[in-house]
Amino acid sequence: MTPTSLTQIASDVPSLQGVLITAMPDCLMFDAYLPSNTTWTPESVASYFGDLVRANREALKSMDNWSSDMQVTIESSESLIILKEVQEQFVIGFIFNLGTPIGMVRLHVQKMLRNIEQMLASFQADPEEAPRAVRIIDYLQRYAPDPHASLMRLALKTGIPIDSLNEPHLLSEEYLDSIEVAVQEILGLSELHI
Amino acid sequence: MSFNLKELIQYMASHNHTFFAHTPVVYHCHHFNLFLDQTIDDALGSKQGLELRTHAAQEATYNLLESICHFAKIKLPLDRIQVASTVFAAMGHGSLHFSANQRGGTVRGDYTHYGFSWKDKYGKAVRRTLPADAFGAGYAAAAVEVAYDLPLGSLKAEETTCIATGAPNCEFTLSPSGTTTKRQSPVRLNETKKALKTVFHGDQEETIANIAQGLVQFLGTLSTDERGLLQGFGVFVTMHLAEYYNRISYDAFYHITKQMPQSTGVMGGLLRESGHVCVFNTFGGILNSPEWEGLVGPITGNPLDIIVGCCAIGRALGFGHWTIHDFAPNQSLTLRTPSTYESNYHVNRHEMANEGRCFFFQGASLAMMQLAHRVDWKSKPDFDQDLYNDLFRRGVPWVVEETKCISKGDEFCETQVHLR
Repeated sequence: MTPTSLTQIASDVPSLQGVLITAMPDCLMFDAYLPSNTTWTPESVASYFGDLVRANREALKSMDNWSSDMQVTIESSESLIILKEVQEQFVIGFIFNLGTPIGMVRLHVQKMLRNIEQMLASFQADPEEAPRAVRIIDYLQRYAPDPHASLMRLALKTGIPIDSLNEPHLLSEEYLDSIEVAVQEILGLSELHI
Repeated sequence: MSFNLKELIQYMASHNHTFFAHTPVVYHCHHFNLFLDQTIDDALGSKQGLELRTHAAQEATYNLLESICHFAKIKLPLDRIQVASTVFAAMGHGSLHFSANQRGGTVRGDYTHYGFSWKDKYGKAVRRTLPADAFGAGYAAAAVEVAYDLPLGSLKAEETTCIATGAPNCEFTLSPSGTTTKRQSPVRLNETKKALKTVFHGDQEETIANIAQGLVQFLGTLSTDERGLLQGFGVFVTMHLAEYYNRISYDAFYHITKQMPQSTGVMGGLLRESGHVCVFNTFGGILNSPEWEGLVGPITGNPLDIIVGCCAIGRALGFGHWTIHDFAPNQSLTLRTPSTYESNYHVNRHEMANEGRCFFFQGASLAMMQLAHRVDWKSKPDFDQDLYNDLFRRGVPWVVEETKCISKGDEFCETQVHLR
């Protein structure tokens, strides 16, 4: 999808601050519509939106309460955010000004979703999943408490040269277990839902 | 018992080092303390890292408290315990409450620096299951050993609850170890003097010396709060034992060079990073403070002023006689010093190195260039995690090399920072 098409869908919607499309399961930004005066970078936000929806899905599944049409609604101090999963391959984040009437938000989300789903249809066939090492390291760098040092810490904990960790798509499968354990330790997690 | 703690603190103005009862100490912030401990655990694994940190704390503290009791002529066990508790709080490590004797017991730690500051810095981002305050554990054991004239290592210490894991306070359990630790000769004032090289001056010497002198006087007026913490300039500050830092750093570093030589580079890089995070946050916070404005004047953001200010702060905190050998704004910085608290220890405890070993000095030099060129001083930024991540998440534009080092036989330590 070209950026122009998302712009065509979203640009006239009142009170809309932006739309982010995240490709799953890698949580990579696929496309974004943002007004030119936006100060934050959409790439990292798109990744966190993907993680959020995934965590929400896992929580609901644990409660036997999951359905594919679930959505996440967030009210922050300045925004109303709706996150919606599209066929497990994309997460769409709609960001509105806080205070926008919820009925109007729902209406516009529904309308935009229809158009976005049509446009994404051609991209839904067999999305290529990044190797697990890539996804784990990407996850580490998103959530590590000292992100600038996270790769060095991983290299020291595992004994894997940092040059190899900088090219995770080339890493041998034999390193996966030690990488996963080290990342769990760094993040204080008992398991990684990636 | 009469005991004036401040009378035992001595500042060596020639080389800019501080001694507490002839024991080398430096001032370091929680960013440095936490990152260094974390690096030790990353290098050795949690269990072995915890052991090294606890033993290093026990040995360094034993040397300090033994020396304090000697100079202050404190002989009774309960008086010595009281002194240990007072010193712990005065150094900014929190409050210790002893229920222990020569057979062991428990020690409660309130607001311990490592546990409390870990929770403050990382508690919202990471769930911790292992205790953080090995220093408190080693300190508690050494305090009881010195109080009852037991040999070093007679007691073993375990931190059974920790603020960092969500407990309201820390608790250390002391029990007889059934053995003693072979004690290495302490690196105190006399041993330090043997490692010092002849003092020299660099650019802006008079300005740096004047600011440093003012800062030393200012530091002398500071005292910890009722929690036993020293909080200021956006950080928690400790007066800490150089021996503790040096032993854990070099023991872990040389373990890596032998056992995992492929990781030597990242080990050095992370030790350097602990210096970088410290200087950026603490020096940045000091330069940005009203106290600095009162002492030196408003911060202009002129890169040379920042470098001069950093050298003065480094001297006042006891890191060494940092001098500017050469500085070209936006291009390069060369610092020299006739000693560092790292080289003072290394030449006494280790064989001659083949490369620079002053990892803190390296990281500090790098951070000084960041402060001089990448901070918008006019906006009065908060030196917090967000600023740090924003600036350094994608790496730094400068590189540092320690081209001369007393630990490898040179007459001074020298760092060179230049653009990548």
